[in-house]
Amino acid sequence: MGAIVLQVKNISKHFPGVLANDHINFDLRKGEIHTLLGENGAGKTTLMNILDGIYYPDEGEIYLNGKKVDIRSPFEATKNGIGMIHQHFMLVDTLTVLENVVLGLESQGFYLNKKKIAERIKEISQNYNLNINPYAKIWQLSVGEQQRVEIIKTLFRGAKILIMDEPTAVLTPQEADTLFKILRRMIKEDKSIIFISHKLDEVMKISDRITVLRKGKLVGTVDKKEIKQKELAKMMVGREVLFRLDRNPIRRKGEVLKIEDLETHNDKGIIILRGINFSLPGGEIFGLAGVSGNGQTELAEVIVGLRRAIAGKVYIKGEEVTNLCPKAITKEGTNYIPPDRLKVGLVPNLSTVENAILRRYDREPISRGIFLNYEEAAKYTRELIKQFNIMVPRENAPVKFLSGGNLQKLILAREIREEPALLIAVHPSRGLDVGATEFVRKKLLEERDQGVAILLISEDLEELLMISDRIGVIYEGKIVGMVDIDDANINEIGLMMAGVHKNPLLKGEENVKV
Amino acid sequence: MLKFEKRENIPLHLRILIPLISILLGVLIGGIAVMFSQVNPLTVYKAIFIGAFGSTYVFSETIVVAIPLLLISVGLILVFKMNYWNIGAYGQYIMGAIFCTYFALNSAETMSRPILLMMMCIAGMVGGALWALIPAALKAYWKVNEVITTLLLNYIALYILKFLMYGPWRNPRSFGFPLTKIFDLNAQLPKLISHTRIHLGLIFGIIAAIIIWIIIKKTKFGYEIRVIGENEIAARYAGINIAKNIILAMIISGGLAGLAGMAQISGIIHMLQIEINPDYGYTAIIVAWLSGLNALTAMIVSFFLGGLFAGASQIQITMKVPIGIVGLIESSILFFLLGGAILTNYKLYYKGRKII
Repeated sequence: MGAIVLQVKNISKHFPGVLANDHINFDLRKGEIHTLLGENGAGKTTLMNILDGIYYPDEGEIYLNGKKVDIRSPFEATKNGIGMIHQHFMLVDTLTVLENVVLGLESQGFYLNKKKIAERIKEISQNYNLNINPYAKIWQLSVGEQQRVEIIKTLFRGAKILIMDEPTAVLTPQEADTLFKILRRMIKEDKSIIFISHKLDEVMKISDRITVLRKGKLVGTVDKKEIKQKELAKMMVGREVLFRLDRNPIRRKGEVLKIEDLETHNDKGIIILRGINFSLPGGEIFGLAGVSGNGQTELAEVIVGLRRAIAGKVYIKGEEVTNLCPKAITKEGTNYIPPDRLKVGLVPNLSTVENAILRRYDREPISRGIFLNYEEAAKYTRELIKQFNIMVPRENAPVKFLSGGNLQKLILAREIREEPALLIAVHPSRGLDVGATEFVRKKLLEERDQGVAILLISEDLEELLMISDRIGVIYEGKIVGMVDIDDANINEIGLMMAGVHKNPLLKGEENVKV
Repeated sequence: MLKFEKRENIPLHLRILIPLISILLGVLIGGIAVMFSQVNPLTVYKAIFIGAFGSTYVFSETIVVAIPLLLISVGLILVFKMNYWNIGAYGQYIMGAIFCTYFALNSAETMSRPILLMMMCIAGMVGGALWALIPAALKAYWKVNEVITTLLLNYIALYILKFLMYGPWRNPRSFGFPLTKIFDLNAQLPKLISHTRIHLGLIFGIIAAIIIWIIIKKTKFGYEIRVIGENEIAARYAGINIAKNIILAMIISGGLAGLAGMAQISGIIHMLQIEINPDYGYTAIIVAWLSGLNALTAMIVSFFLGGLFAGASQIQITMKVPIGIVGLIESSILFFLLGGAILTNYKLYYKGRKII
């Protein structure tokens, strides 16, 4: 293994209310693939953005080949031979590969010597088997090819250190394999690669060393050869003491939701659900665990009618509702707590009252002929505020001024007051403080005791273990395991979330194939 | 260095100051242009003011211009509230004029005045509404950008008008000019005040403004429009039928522009010709913005911009300053108004110190 080319010492970075990086140490050797592993919010991307000059650290130092450097912009990072490939590509769709590669390069004069640049691109492309035509337009390329254009961009700028932020998140398994071959080829040419991921199986496949972060802190750096996947999962998820909410024994009754062979596309047109099957009775909280991007939010959207299913069926209380409009599905007794409060669940510039009535503005008494009865609307809003203890300074002020916890309480109140048979909650406590989190969880449990079927989609394993009655794990658009809460084991679920083994969870070591 | 920071809420003083400063800057730019005609801008603005508000007659002419501006702008306010950018009031206005002319030319002898005028009003609204329905349906069902479609339909409407005026509807006794015959008295909107040109359209405009205000503030339809305009994803989440709302709002918006076209030719021009002032369709966009998308405020703003128009037509006669100056002032106002929006949305810092 080569010499240390990059060293990060005691890096810290605060954001309002969060310590995203807490005294992180990290080093990268010449010719290695070093993976940064951690859950969402562990601080991986923050650390890499610091290396790329997008953020400036509050504390700590960066050394390149033993020399201290001060990186204040991506431009300076490039000059130092660091190139970052972001999750969202920075390409102009209507331009050619060549034009994208030279975009922003200072060394080019007024006229582009296209021939020379094209030759250089072809040379890089051949050298690393990238297989990219410099004259192709970006929009004509597949996602995998676009990613390779990003790689060419960084190599063209002379990068010796490549940072790849979850590069496989947008790729099919085949495209990912191609990428891995390219990365291996690159390290043979003495490049060094920092690979960010939270998928354990690919981490084990591609890494030389692995550094694990959790909640902004460094857990440790390990050699791939000296660690098992199971141990990595433990390091990533952590072993905090689980704290359980008191809850009544489960009283299941009647099937409320049934999903059959459901398939759908994500926003990019890639198939994201590949045949989902499950059934959910009333009075149960079914927790769906999974790393983000495995299809869970799309699943919720298909059920409530915001996204079209391309195959399969959704039944609510025995009635088929597949691809009905959201209003019809709501009428069947389905309510939805969306993952993004201000983007989906609320209208930020309208008042608390106008947001509170979103579900019932067209029903009496708030609806009065073609008019809205604002007095009734205000009365109803005050009921919600009182019942759910929402802090609203002025009910006619835009709702965006409320805190995250109060916004979520408002959505929760509005949806629960519709007395649904099925409640779908996606990341219901994300970004909330301890008090609001507990409130949301208790309310969900109350609804469960009332006989409501609850589909709880969360990336927070502790939350799932705390209030679910049954946990399913979704991975790459399929439910890869299902377990009763009493048999659940956080490490095993973590393994399944990372795609380690794809059999239904069973007790005991013998079923864990690593 | 300059730095922008997102604002949480817009303070009241900015909400008033930004339109006022926009108007002042627009007037300033117009003044510079006037100086090129070797006339003192202050004299010109004084003349415009007197030409707009200086006597009972010119005051009435200001109101005459304000009528179509008000009718069109309140319709635009409705669709602008849902982030639908109807740039096509120009064409909808022309289609309204064309549709109502059919009755003015063919039914003047067979219908009594109230019935004929009512038919002409309905025809004008239907003409404008149908013309607005095309881009509305394209947007609602195929997501075609309405800015392009509404704008291009303006040209088509203009050429339909030209075709009719040079072809089937040209009055054989007009010595070859592209005009219809003068409408019978039956087909003319009655004057509200004698010795002026103020016609019944003023009442239409005021009623329309009040109705639009009520729709936006008090009805479920208005509520749905505001939800769609502020957050379309939340509207879908709440099960609001977006396509239906686009179509309904555009029918109303186009219908009002069509009614403005009808009122103009039935109340002022008394015949159909090629020049029927469809540019009011563009000026009304400025009225809508200047009034902060409030239909009641639009009454005052229409009156102000009407004065600018009426006053400027006076200075063209007396001072030989081209009337195009008005267009320049208007567009500068809109330009500064839209530019000023950055200050309503962002705080501005210079070298770390807050400026505004």
